[in-house]
Amino acid sequence: MPYHEFKCSKCIPERKKHAVIKGAGEDLTSALPLGYLNTIPGSISERGCAYCGAKHVIGTPMKDVIHMSHGPVGCTYDTWQTKRYISDNDNFQLKYTYATDMKEKHIIFGAEKLLKQNIIEAFKAFPNIKRMTLYQTCASALIGDDINAIAQEVMDEMPDVDIFVCNSPGFGGPSQSGGHHKINIAWINQKVGNVEPKITSDYVINYVGEYNIQGDQEVMVDYFKRMGIQVLSTFTGNGSYDDLRAMHRAHLNVLECARSAEYICNELKVRYGTPRLDIDGFGFEPLSASLRKVGLFFGIEDRAQAIIDEETARWKPELDWYKERLKGKKVCLWPGGSKLWHWAHVIHEEMGVEVVSVYTKFGHQGDMEKGISRCEEGALAIDDPNELEGIEAMEMLKPDIIFTGKRPGEVAKKLRIPYLNAHAYHNGPWKGYEGWVRFARDIYNAIYSPIHQLAFVDISKDEISSDTKFLTQKMISDVNLSEEVTSSSELREYTGKYDSLAKLRGKTYPDLTSPKQSAAV
Amino acid sequence: MEDMMNDRIGQLVDYIMKKCLWQFHSRSWDREKQNEGILTKTMQLLCGEPVETGTPTDKCYWVDAVCLADAFKTRYLWLATMDKAEIKLLMQGLKDRMDYLTITGSLNEELNDPHY
Repeated sequence: MPYHEFKCSKCIPERKKHAVIKGAGEDLTSALPLGYLNTIPGSISERGCAYCGAKHVIGTPMKDVIHMSHGPVGCTYDTWQTKRYISDNDNFQLKYTYATDMKEKHIIFGAEKLLKQNIIEAFKAFPNIKRMTLYQTCASALIGDDINAIAQEVMDEMPDVDIFVCNSPGFGGPSQSGGHHKINIAWINQKVGNVEPKITSDYVINYVGEYNIQGDQEVMVDYFKRMGIQVLSTFTGNGSYDDLRAMHRAHLNVLECARSAEYICNELKVRYGTPRLDIDGFGFEPLSASLRKVGLFFGIEDRAQAIIDEETARWKPELDWYKERLKGKKVCLWPGGSKLWHWAHVIHEEMGVEVVSVYTKFGHQGDMEKGISRCEEGALAIDDPNELEGIEAMEMLKPDIIFTGKRPGEVAKKLRIPYLNAHAYHNGPWKGYEGWVRFARDIYNAIYSPIHQLAFVDISKDEISSDTKFLTQKMISDVNLSEEVTSSSELREYTGKYDSLAKLRGKTYPDLTSPKQSAAV
Repeated sequence: MEDMMNDRIGQLVDYIMKKCLWQFHSRSWDREKQNEGILTKTMQLLCGEPVETGTPTDKCYWVDAVCLADAFKTRYLWLATMDKAEIKLLMQGLKDRMDYLTITGSLNEELNDPHY
């Protein structure tokens, strides 16, 4: 097994089995790190907790809901407000965050009264919102507050409201992934099948494992609507609580982030017979294949092909402009879970960058199987890294850019390596054809930022040449490009608008009634 | 001859591992069904045989099989030189290799968890 032992972790020998370097001729039967295990004491993990995984990743992107944490205010405040899981209802779920504000006295005397008071107060403060998700935290779980009973009491007293209870306290798993699992199963057990939806198309899907980061969901739903497909629910970005109670009526579950949401797809298959189709919304080729597959399933692949042709013709010359300038740049692809395999091969093929390392904070071995399969030989794969390992890897690999979260991203910046926020994006959406160009533009802007170039100079000791002039990004990026590339009439920089979502909101779609429905009329 | 067959199987495995996701469902029994369903239908498509699409699950396997068969035909021109019997042998070898990499030889310790 080609394990990689970090010098900084020699004092934590268990860490050795959590990193491998994929060598020549090696495959998954010889190169796979351990994963989804409890963090080893002494290793300062970058993971989140199971409460965070349930509430902040999956529950809270639902848009028409009061999301209440039963616990100390810090549990909800410290992590939610930096998310960019937007919605088309003026970001209601982002603007307000709710906690019962448990204190020490409640640990002693109980906090059930406090909880009931908070629930009623929140519904009264927002009389148009009739749905709530309610989350256990470590503090309330340890004292044994029965939040299910309180939720039922309130529903009995206020018949027009509905409350979902999620028992996923922070300690309920090795990482946020434990929370993903718990909320998936809780939702299907408690809520799916409770609402009968209005079916408006012969082609009905649930779009699962999609969190509308900076508008990703709206981009993808636009494609589906252009194909005449009814998106019954999105689990959960920009999704509606009651739509998600009707998931059992879809014909197909289209699954994007298998790490966070495969559980509900698997259960929908077992309980309702709805098949699961895994797709990739990132990158021209994977996205095109994904749209084609959904089209094939319903016998409308011609509609998918029309979108593929139109979007590729519009955006490919812009993607290729960036590819010419990003070729050979070294990337550490260090996201949370699924993006290591969504992006590993396609940023190499479509943007020309070299992925020198992949890591996952909370992924399972299945995620590493996908990621290692998709990256090239020599890549360093790390499970649940600590900060010192990240620093050692950056010093060893000397990447040009890191795609990661904001905490390790700030560490990278101190090492003078630019980073892009893989969780929340910079100038997203990054899904869809235009989105993929926006991602390439963000990479280009990060690597070739004139300001970033200054970070390489240490004014305390380096000699600063007086004839150094200000350089633009293009002067830096184009210095070694051929005339053929720099003066190409085909290639061009991104020409989309600052807000690429505005054109989608309020858009009307042609009536694509199926032949079967037309005949019935 | 055997070397050539192994080399060709290796090319098909590389394509699946890089481009597809269906082979990595989370449990052994799921992976067995996925490999069997999709690779059998791919073989039938490549051999011009009828493919069962009666149930939603069969249709889902067929969708992945259509995309896989198209990609194989476009990328690996040597497929056009093979007769039906050779294609069946090739696809059986591919299935055996995929089962080994993703199930029987896999180091993934979660594969045999009895629950999702």
